[in-house]
Amino acid sequence: MKSFDPNAQGGGIFGFQIAPMIDVVFVIMLFFMVMAGAVKVERELNQKLPGTVETSKSVEFTDEILINIAENGEVQLNEEPMDPVGKRQMPRLTAALMRLKQGGDAAKAPVLVTIISEPDAKYSRVVDTLDALAYAEITNVTFTLSAEEE
Amino acid sequence: MAGGGGGGDGEPEFQIAPMIDVLLVLLIFFMSITTAQVLKVDKNITLPVAEHGSKKDNSRAEAIINVRWEAAKKKAFYTYDDKPYTDLSKLSAALAAAKKASDKIAAKGKNPDFRVVIRGDRDGNARSVSLAMNAAAEAGIGDISFSTANKD
Repeated sequence: MKSFDPNAQGGGIFGFQIAPMIDVVFVIMLFFMVMAGAVKVERELNQKLPGTVETSKSVEFTDEILINIAENGEVQLNEEPMDPVGKRQMPRLTAALMRLKQGGDAAKAPVLVTIISEPDAKYSRVVDTLDALAYAEITNVTFTLSAEEE
Repeated sequence: MAGGGGGGDGEPEFQIAPMIDVLLVLLIFFMSITTAQVLKVDKNITLPVAEHGSKKDNSRAEAIINVRWEAAKKKAFYTYDDKPYTDLSKLSAALAAAKKASDKIAAKGKNPDFRVVIRGDRDGNARSVSLAMNAAAEAGIGDISFSTANKD
């Protein structure tokens, strides 16, 4: 029986070499495996701008929660200072928002939050606040700038 | 030549063909999960981090506004559809045109799913993003999403 010899030379016919192909595939696969670990996934925080409501529909009035963001990054919930500046995570604000959300759910009233940011406050701080709201599963969020600075 | 995988007397033979199949499947898997994400990242903008953001919904019609922050000039630069906009009223007009085109494509004449995605730089200020939101509002689009990254 004639066995297959991958290293056979001569004859003028180029045989398909399987071993180098596997090597290349391995290297490419390792590259993509390493890349997959380092890749950043883009996510999103959703928001609806306040709009007009048809006058024939009844409107539910709810207690509004105000979150103020100062230029230095200080966050206040209903004028009460929350977590210290400089840390991305805001456990105190998140806990307070979760309590408000639970209270709203128990009373069957939607929780409405307005973020009022100073115009020169960092955008990343606004996103930190929106992230805390997303964690507390509060979806009725409005974002605006404080008027006196404009 | 002896056939592989048979229940014969000889020693079990190493099968190269199924191994290549498995390798190729793994390769395609890792290629698809990396390239799909990498293509969407604009290297000029560093997105802010939000761990609890929802997964990006790619099924909806959207207009993406990039808000790039130049720290040296302390100024935001707006791009939409690879075109820079310094006059935000023109950006608003472009967004309104995009929404109109999307409404035409939608079956009922109105596309409620059309939204604006703002990719703001983490070093930028709230005013720069607010101006982009204002442009969307002037175009009659109330559904806005902020792009974030899942990690630093």
